[in-house]
Amino acid sequence: MSGKVYGMKCNSCGTVSYPKHAVCPDCRNERFEEVAIGGEGKVLTYTDVYALAIEYETRYLRLAIVELDDGIRVTGQLLDDEPKLGMRVKTILGTVRQSGETAIQGLQFVSV
Amino acid sequence: MKPVYIAGAGMTQFGRSEWTLMQLASVASLAALHHANLGDIRVDGVVVANMGAARVNRQTALGSALVDQLALYPATAESVENGPASGASAVKIGVQAIASGMADVVLVTGVERMRVVNGLEGTDFVASLSHPEAEYIYGVTLPALAGMFARLFMDKFGVERKHLAMVAIKNHENAAKNPYAHIQQTVTMEGILTLPEAAVNNPPIAEPLHMFDCCPVSDGAASLVLVSEDVAAKLGGPKVRVAGIGQATDTHAVHEREDPTDLKSVRIAAKTAFDRAGLKPQDVDVVELHDAFTILEIAESEASGFFPRGEGHKALERGETRLDGALPINPSGGLKAKGHPVGATGVAQLVELVWQLRGECDARQVKDAKVAYACNFGGFGNNVVASVLQREA
Amino acid sequence: MGNISELEVLLRPPAMDMPVYPPKAITLASGETMVVRQVAREEVPTLLEAIYPLLWVERDFYDIVAARLFGELLAYKRYRVKDEYVLVGLIDGVLAGMVNGRLVDEKTGMSYHTLTIRRGLRVGSHLFAAKMEYHIEHCQQEEVLIVAESPIGFRRWMIEYPLEKKFEVQHEMGGVPSWLLPKDVYYAAKPRLVAGHRPISDELMKSSATIILPEEETVVRQVAGEKEEQQ
Repeated sequence: MSGKVYGMKCNSCGTVSYPKHAVCPDCRNERFEEVAIGGEGKVLTYTDVYALAIEYETRYLRLAIVELDDGIRVTGQLLDDEPKLGMRVKTILGTVRQSGETAIQGLQFVSV
Repeated sequence: MKPVYIAGAGMTQFGRSEWTLMQLASVASLAALHHANLGDIRVDGVVVANMGAARVNRQTALGSALVDQLALYPATAESVENGPASGASAVKIGVQAIASGMADVVLVTGVERMRVVNGLEGTDFVASLSHPEAEYIYGVTLPALAGMFARLFMDKFGVERKHLAMVAIKNHENAAKNPYAHIQQTVTMEGILTLPEAAVNNPPIAEPLHMFDCCPVSDGAASLVLVSEDVAAKLGGPKVRVAGIGQATDTHAVHEREDPTDLKSVRIAAKTAFDRAGLKPQDVDVVELHDAFTILEIAESEASGFFPRGEGHKALERGETRLDGALPINPSGGLKAKGHPVGATGVAQLVELVWQLRGECDARQVKDAKVAYACNFGGFGNNVVASVLQREA
Repeated sequence: MGNISELEVLLRPPAMDMPVYPPKAITLASGETMVVRQVAREEVPTLLEAIYPLLWVERDFYDIVAARLFGELLAYKRYRVKDEYVLVGLIDGVLAGMVNGRLVDEKTGMSYHTLTIRRGLRVGSHLFAAKMEYHIEHCQQEEVLIVAESPIGFRRWMIEYPLEKKFEVQHEMGGVPSWLLPKDVYYAAKPRLVAGHRPISDELMKSSATIILPEEETVVRQVAGEKEEQQ
């Protein structure tokens, strides 16, 4: 599966940001290297959203913000039937949206 | 900076309209111009606030179009697209024009006609303000961001669904007294929360938020006439001054905020507005908050400085924010029940407050209101404009 | 049936025994009580009167819904449709909405239309659910064939229940490929979509005995979702 999710690591202060910015939010440096985002973490908050764009032919989507163990936070789709605040999850890559013929890859969370 | 006054305020009925975008904008503008009773004083500039016309109505350059509708040439014209904060942003730009001495009379009109597309497309168009790579692609919509915010906020401060329902009940009740409101239907705690029927009456939209926690999708327009001190003196009549405007931004992706329950942009915008006005939250008599979701009324009432953090829902429970309470919030019915034509909302909040300060609100009039505050919440809190208005003798 | 000619007997479709839909009461979000009950043939002219002004409302396909519903109700009144039924929602006796459908055979039902007059209180959802309840629980059917003529209806019914495809069957509504609500899906969705209680009080029974029509202007305005503009 291609299309990992990337954040950026500041060449000067080492801060990792996700999503990417053109300037480091911490030290205003403008040079970075890309780093893949993912791993284990815990669910900070989640929702089952029923108000969806037309591409989703499902009753609802379960979305979450996860705080990864390295401190980076990410938004993605939670694939778990018994969601709880603070539950341990890990990231996987999967199809998160269908845009015409294109299947968009992104972060999904499964329990560990 | 020169002082700026609001000489006239008008709006259309919010709801679903057959009128075109420019008809809506014209009707609200004329209502505000008539309210201001300018006589032969010329309008120097027009600022139009709108979010979706380019996509939903296939129309751009709305400022120029409105000048043409109102035959105000050669007045200057601008269009402002700043997400859900477009309205108050446009007001700020009008205020800057007068405060700098570049204009004496500016007409600011917010307009949105989004019921022309179906609800799914409407939801998707508003969702396009979220972060394209880190949020939107996952199916994030505004209700989704509000749902995740609500879950965290409620867990942290002990807010329950009954508190959210109290916001809805209060604002529907106020809207029933507002002839311009989209929804003029009161709701009950039994009907939306406690009876078994409530499960069907009030289905989930983005857990823990349900249908009656979310504002409707509305068409509508609202308009203000801003004038310089000289013009205000010539016009006579009640004087409402723009005492202070503050604005602040925050990270685009909600997850990047250090504490996602902290509406930092609201705090900064409110503090700036109060500092510029030389006033404090305690001086305020009437408030309009951006309750696109019920939870936001509670959170903004704290972040704006009216209640300590985590205490907003308690003040609500004590009835302090009711029309007859110590600090009435959303006497107009708020976005929740007055409606939310996105680009018009920030202007409409101030229209209500001008009417309140002039004592023109009939059944929903807050007694002796002298100082008023509005919070126009753009993005999901990544761009907020706060305004303080003051009635002068 | 009394005295009908032999020719008339031939013209009428054969009829099955149909149970009466037992009336129920639902408390709405507003706190108002809506009674859902079946209507008799004699009441059809009153409903036609409510539908008539909607024949020219293009928005959300109300014109086609109204025209077809008008024809279906007339056919019901004059015995030109097989095993049709009509349910109405009444708030203090005032018509809030109506739904109809018919039985295809013992096993299969066919949903016709849902028309909401009072907006914003989920009246349409309650009535559509009552219609499914009638087919599955009271007529003991296995499945109901459904199509939608407006995008709102499509999203609401197809995804909310969720319905299954049965595209090999053309629905009577213009030959559109059908969707299906099977019994098990109905029961799975029931807790979140079907509400109300029975029996209803004598008082409610009495107040909903006669259908009161809202004013024509009110009907068009509410259905089209418009309100008079004011300045």
